[in-house]
Amino acid sequence: MNEARAVPARPAIGGWPLRHPAWCVGALCLAAAALSLDALAARLPPALWIRATLSPDLADMRQVVVRESFLPRLVVSLLCGAALGLAGTIFQHVLRNPLASSTTLGVSAGAKVALAVVGLWLPALLEEGGEWVALAGSTAAFLLVLGIASNRGLAPLSVVLAGMAVSFAASTGAAALMLFNEHYLTGLFLWGGGSLSQQDWSAVLFLAPRLAAAALLAGLMIRPLSLMGLGDVQARSLGLGLGWARLVLLATAVTVAASVVSAVGVIGFVDLAAPTLVGLLGARRLQDRLVWAPLAGAALLWLTDQLVLRWSGIYGEMVPTGAVTALLGAPLLLFLLPRLAVAAAPPRGALTPPARAARRPWTLTGTFAAIAVLALAAALAVGRGPDGVTVSGPSDIAALLPWRAPRLAAAFAAGAMLAAAGVLMQRLTANAMASPEVLGISTGAALGLLALLLLVPGAGRAITVPAGAAGAFLALAAILSLARSSAFSPERVLIAGIALGAFFDALVVALMAAGDPRAQMLLNWLVGSTYRVSATDAFATAGIAAGLLATLPLLARWLDILPLGAGTARALGVSLGASRLAVLLFAAVATATATLVIGPLSFVGLVSPHLARLAGLARGLPQAVGAALIGGTVMAEADWLGRMLSSTSAMPAGLMAALVGTPCLLWLLRRR
Amino acid sequence: MLPMSACSRRGDRVVPRLLPAFAGLLLLAAAALPAAGQDAAPRARRIVALDWGLAETLIALGIPPIGVPETRSYADWVVAPPLPAGVAEVGLRLEPNPEILQQLAPDLILTIAEHEAIRPLLARIAPTLALPIYGPEGRPYDRAVAATGRLARLTGREAQGEALIATAETVMARARARFAGSGDGRSVYVVSFLDGRHVRVYGKGGLFQDVLDRLGLRNAWQGETNGWGFATIGIERLADDPDASLIVLEPLPHDAQRTFRGSRLWRNLPFVRAGRVHRLPPVLMFGTLPAAVRFAELLTATLLGEAPHE
Repeated sequence: MNEARAVPARPAIGGWPLRHPAWCVGALCLAAAALSLDALAARLPPALWIRATLSPDLADMRQVVVRESFLPRLVVSLLCGAALGLAGTIFQHVLRNPLASSTTLGVSAGAKVALAVVGLWLPALLEEGGEWVALAGSTAAFLLVLGIASNRGLAPLSVVLAGMAVSFAASTGAAALMLFNEHYLTGLFLWGGGSLSQQDWSAVLFLAPRLAAAALLAGLMIRPLSLMGLGDVQARSLGLGLGWARLVLLATAVTVAASVVSAVGVIGFVDLAAPTLVGLLGARRLQDRLVWAPLAGAALLWLTDQLVLRWSGIYGEMVPTGAVTALLGAPLLLFLLPRLAVAAAPPRGALTPPARAARRPWTLTGTFAAIAVLALAAALAVGRGPDGVTVSGPSDIAALLPWRAPRLAAAFAAGAMLAAAGVLMQRLTANAMASPEVLGISTGAALGLLALLLLVPGAGRAITVPAGAAGAFLALAAILSLARSSAFSPERVLIAGIALGAFFDALVVALMAAGDPRAQMLLNWLVGSTYRVSATDAFATAGIAAGLLATLPLLARWLDILPLGAGTARALGVSLGASRLAVLLFAAVATATATLVIGPLSFVGLVSPHLARLAGLARGLPQAVGAALIGGTVMAEADWLGRMLSSTSAMPAGLMAALVGTPCLLWLLRRR
Repeated sequence: MLPMSACSRRGDRVVPRLLPAFAGLLLLAAAALPAAGQDAAPRARRIVALDWGLAETLIALGIPPIGVPETRSYADWVVAPPLPAGVAEVGLRLEPNPEILQQLAPDLILTIAEHEAIRPLLARIAPTLALPIYGPEGRPYDRAVAATGRLARLTGREAQGEALIATAETVMARARARFAGSGDGRSVYVVSFLDGRHVRVYGKGGLFQDVLDRLGLRNAWQGETNGWGFATIGIERLADDPDASLIVLEPLPHDAQRTFRGSRLWRNLPFVRAGRVHRLPPVLMFGTLPAAVRFAELLTATLLGEAPHE
């Protein structure tokens, strides 16, 4: 019963053949084939096709290009698609998790960051051992994810959350490397985007045997695999200890996914979309899914890649196929979401229990405030110059204040707003993992800003906040309306957030790879650099933060009542619509303002509410205020730490907060 | 509250601290430039160049910048002219460290288009001057000439500026004559490898295009380029011109080597089959006149052999 179920739950109606995945896969293939033939005809007259394929005239470059670039690219797209479809099916089945995939399990990101690190410091190793580096990275990330989620019995939500957090940490690390080694790692971005361009058959020869072996293995394991769907107890009663089977299968899936990553880069979402798609189209038995998911994956990637080829032919620009699959995959996923039923009961109301409810919450909050003041003062006074760490006395600080004060103030205000928004979201949805970052609200704000950047060049800062807030509010509204039918089931809300995040990442990667000059600026903002914060910006941010936080007491009653559920709230005379709208507006404005300053990356909004709660702040208002103080302090110190790491170039605050916040999050997840 | 008190305190301190600096500057100017001493206009002496291209122009003018971003990478990607010892590292290209800049106390900060967003911040440290060489308008060579003239006037090095511009023209003319004398109307692709499968190919709007035009060579890449004058493509698209040579700029990423050895497409590209692949030491692709001269000289030497020494 734990297995992923697709809606409609009824078996396919006999006599309605359209329900069969073959129709969909066939249609995709037909479209891809038409595009391919057209593209081929543009490259080489049809009369030479057979000759070019079998024994090309090496002096005729058209034939060589078809034989050594066009055809292998086509085959690689098929192989990668099939490999990802297979890996996704295995992940989803073995982990009994409809959201599992190499993207959501951190497998791709692990490989990516491993290759980046090795490429930067041990490039010689990559020349022959790239595959092993990728595999080591993937495996490490995957084991970390399993390790974190294991104490919750690998519950789907925990696994995906851990996977997302690990992915996030890995991508953040890669972004930091990229930022400081822009000149050396341009290739990494192309590869990270998953370009399928080929110049020989080596990737085919590399992938084909691995895929064949994995497929064979999966075929042999159909029986134990099917039993796995029954659950451990039943399987064991049928005489099968499933530990080894799981291990073998997961190792297979990780290896296949890592091979794809090391061969062509990160191809997002195909391994999530393909199994989900065939499941929805009626392939419900495992053996059906094992056949149809790879086929659907192959067809999807083939079609996408042919579209990319055609498109880049027009614009003469490089757009990595993997970025496009993520761009197409995210909306697809959002579309599929309401049709996807998750059988496992959501762990509702699993808020972190306060270790010991504080007897005097306001004294505790005051302590946090005092710590915040001390931390800010220290961050103002201590810096690092070319000659080492400097501690400035009151007289020297004056010259440095214009540089240090605005960014600290903005970082503090942004952190405080995210943390308060996090408390509100967690209380509104009664979901311990809700937060502006996880729910994709930050991403929504980022998308709003990106749209503004692309559509209205030279837009002033005055309209950036409304644009960001509009994006955040739209994202929030979309996600909540998606989630409403399932009463804020964490799975759905999360997957929507993941999809939005991936969509945004894909956009950024596509811009970077196309060499858009705005991309570098975008990257700086994406990693949460407070560099551009002027005194005016800082005042504005701090002002908005102060204004918002001042309205918190008005929300205090709702914050205590909303988590008790709609029924209780109504019985206590709370207007659900009005209270929800107020809370949502608060969260949207706070998130947008904060995102503008420190970018969409950071787990401050997720972690701070838990820290406040753990410290003993149980009721709504003290928790919100305490979390805001913690979030502000964390963000300000992250900014300071970023300045202290290097004597010349500051590590962006958002990045630092993510690097600090992610381990915190992993610890929270492990502890839950 | 804090910023206000900061301002007043700062005001007290700035003047006494700057006095010795002014005195030093005057002495320095008097010692270094006796000939130009009569010109009363204030001249930039302590310049921070936030763009490597502008930095190399300053070095060529004989008045090296006091601060440059990402000095470590400069050595790998620009190579010549080398940064003189003692040039301060000021941080990232797009996010130079303001505290270091303030300590350096420059009297001019040179920026390019990408710095527009941070110019108000930089202006609090020193006057800024934007000298964009690259952009949608193209013609970087002409703009580099204009920037050289402007910088020469600003620093009181008009003679050196004119010499630099003249040298560049001479190098171009001499190279053009040599290519014309060699008789073949060549075409070249100029690329940097990004990984084993992709290159940046330089074209319209880039410095190398302008140099090729001056040398009478044809750029084999006639496709679209971005504002910096390059396009990112897979190497299979380098097959359009069967007569072209390939100029590969170093540094090369590690997996380019594997492509050179193993890839069948690579081995069958016309310029590889004909042995017309040439590696060039690093040249700043987003550079100014020194980069143009360096590129023209390296290209001529590579394609036609060393020039007879004049």
